[in-house]
Amino acid sequence: MSQYQFILRRLLQGILVIWGVVTLVFLLRYMTPGNPVDFVAPLDAGQETRDQVAADLGLDQPVYVQYFDYLFGLIQGDMGYSFIRSQPASSIIFARLPATIELALAATIVAIIFSIPLGVISATRRHEPADYAATSFSLVGISTPNFWLGIMLILLVSVGLGILPTSRRPIGFVPAMEMFIFQLEIQGIRTWIAHMILPAVTLGTYFTAMIVRLTRSGMLDELGKSYVLATRAKGVPETLVRYKHVLRNTMIPIITVLGLQLGTLIGGAVITEFVFNWPGLGTLIINAIDVRDWPIIQGSLIVIGVGFVIINIAVDALYAKLNPKVSYE
Amino acid sequence: MISDRVKQSLKREFSRSVMAKIGLVLVLVVLLTAIFAPFIAPHDPTQQGLEESNIPPAGVTYTTEEFQMVDGERQTVETETRGSLDHPFGTDALGRDLFSRVLFGARTSLLVGLGGTAVAVGTGVGVGLVAGYFGGRVDDGLMRFADIMLAFPALVLALALVGFFRGSDYQAIAIPDPFVRAGLVDGMPESFVFPLGLTVVVGIVNWVWFARISRGEALSIRQEEYVKAAKSLGASDWTILRQHVLPNSLTPIIVLATIQVAAIILLESSLSFLGFSGTTLSWGFDIAQGRDYLGTSWWIASIPGLAIVVTVVGINLLGDWLRDALDPGLEGEHGGGM
Repeated sequence: MSQYQFILRRLLQGILVIWGVVTLVFLLRYMTPGNPVDFVAPLDAGQETRDQVAADLGLDQPVYVQYFDYLFGLIQGDMGYSFIRSQPASSIIFARLPATIELALAATIVAIIFSIPLGVISATRRHEPADYAATSFSLVGISTPNFWLGIMLILLVSVGLGILPTSRRPIGFVPAMEMFIFQLEIQGIRTWIAHMILPAVTLGTYFTAMIVRLTRSGMLDELGKSYVLATRAKGVPETLVRYKHVLRNTMIPIITVLGLQLGTLIGGAVITEFVFNWPGLGTLIINAIDVRDWPIIQGSLIVIGVGFVIINIAVDALYAKLNPKVSYE
Repeated sequence: MISDRVKQSLKREFSRSVMAKIGLVLVLVVLLTAIFAPFIAPHDPTQQGLEESNIPPAGVTYTTEEFQMVDGERQTVETETRGSLDHPFGTDALGRDLFSRVLFGARTSLLVGLGGTAVAVGTGVGVGLVAGYFGGRVDDGLMRFADIMLAFPALVLALALVGFFRGSDYQAIAIPDPFVRAGLVDGMPESFVFPLGLTVVVGIVNWVWFARISRGEALSIRQEEYVKAAKSLGASDWTILRQHVLPNSLTPIIVLATIQVAAIILLESSLSFLGFSGTTLSWGFDIAQGRDYLGTSWWIASIPGLAIVVTVVGINLLGDWLRDALDPGLEGEHGGGM
């Protein structure tokens, strides 16, 4: 099987999984107790109004008709109308998406910047103070609930030191950049960064800790292999041995695990957003669940599920490129 | 079920590793705290007292400024409150003793952590062994379903599923406290609220990891000579699964289960923090309460969080110990929490 056939096959599998995701999300609402009419119709509505609402929502149809209606609606980008706000669910959800993507990317960048050097130091200075410091940090990092970390950062940095804002996202990345490019105004970017630091550190800490652990154990494994000895014997400088050969081979398993852990990143983003009052998908879902705004809940779940499947396919493709040994099965 | 070789390996790793010892001590402390909470706690964790609200932890002095009308003039009056050993960790906004709440919160965390892991192991191992052992279409179907589950972050799926139990009788059940029942302690709550719905949900969202790992084990064990021999002797599939495949795939399952207890405790605290757990006696719930008083009473949100960190660090250290002793090949790959 060639590389392209492999990717094509993964794509087809992905479409199947997406169909499964949609079906599961549909069943979730159908099976959860509580009649949507109760949330949509006015409290004092008579039977006639209630019947009308049920008909508007398509609830008077047999379940398979409702299912196919929902499925074909989705294909055309229609996720229904929000029960609470009379707007299409899709426009509400996609308006929130950039905030979540920015947060997730910023956290990933924080994680990569801090974790790989820490992991390398930890592995190459095994049993030295630097190693103990990095190992302790990573242990505490994977054991700390990120919502609590966020609150503590707000307490210490925002309330205590009085620097950095406690919450919200007054400006998005794109408007901030536009302001800079078209008006040469740096204020937008500064505001964006100031509001991004604490949420990004909150969300990124768990991943920093996790990658430190992976890098450390991966590098220790690799350093014990015979090719390292051979490369050193050839007279290759130690720095080159570590960074060019060993670290590169360590990265392959790290990328796989990161792909698998993407769900944790998005899950973490949901609660981080809640802590920092961040106007992303996470706060949207939490509020929607609170008021049982099903079109929003369903739409957000599908957007997350589909995003996850697509990114995983991309990770697989990247993995196939990086590792010539991978078999396309 | 545990061979001598495994026991020796566990002992050797334990005596070599300081971290394993620390982990064991931490976990034991939390476990004993959870069990004997009514004996240790100085107050009923649910008892409110508005005149005792927002008292700082022992030894901490805390000053509030209030405007008062004195002889017709507005004056700023500084009130100093000093924490005492009567409330070692202080009190929350409703005057509940935080130390007692932290002690009782250990029960919620551990019960949900262990119960949720049991649900995940039961479902996941069952599905995984059947899929791996029978292979073919059964395997394809079950593993595609696992892929669909994996497309959702654990926390998001859990949030979507808690709706099943909201408002139902199963969301939380009251378990009578045996010590209070037996009349051994006074003034403690008579029953403990166990968030059953939440426990099932956190288990369900984590079963896939166990399904994957036990499927892999079943796939390789199926090829072993002794399984083929048992089959030719007329053993039924069920007997082979139970007597041969399950015992031989236990090691990685145990290591994963340990790490999952930690992940599920984190997940429970997140859901309690968001107010979806069905119990009001939980570390996550207390952090949410304290969040509203960050500017004044920092201890309410800080201390329960430390309890979570200590517990999860302990369990993760035990997990590392088991992994190093039993299966060096497992490193790093585990399910997501939060």
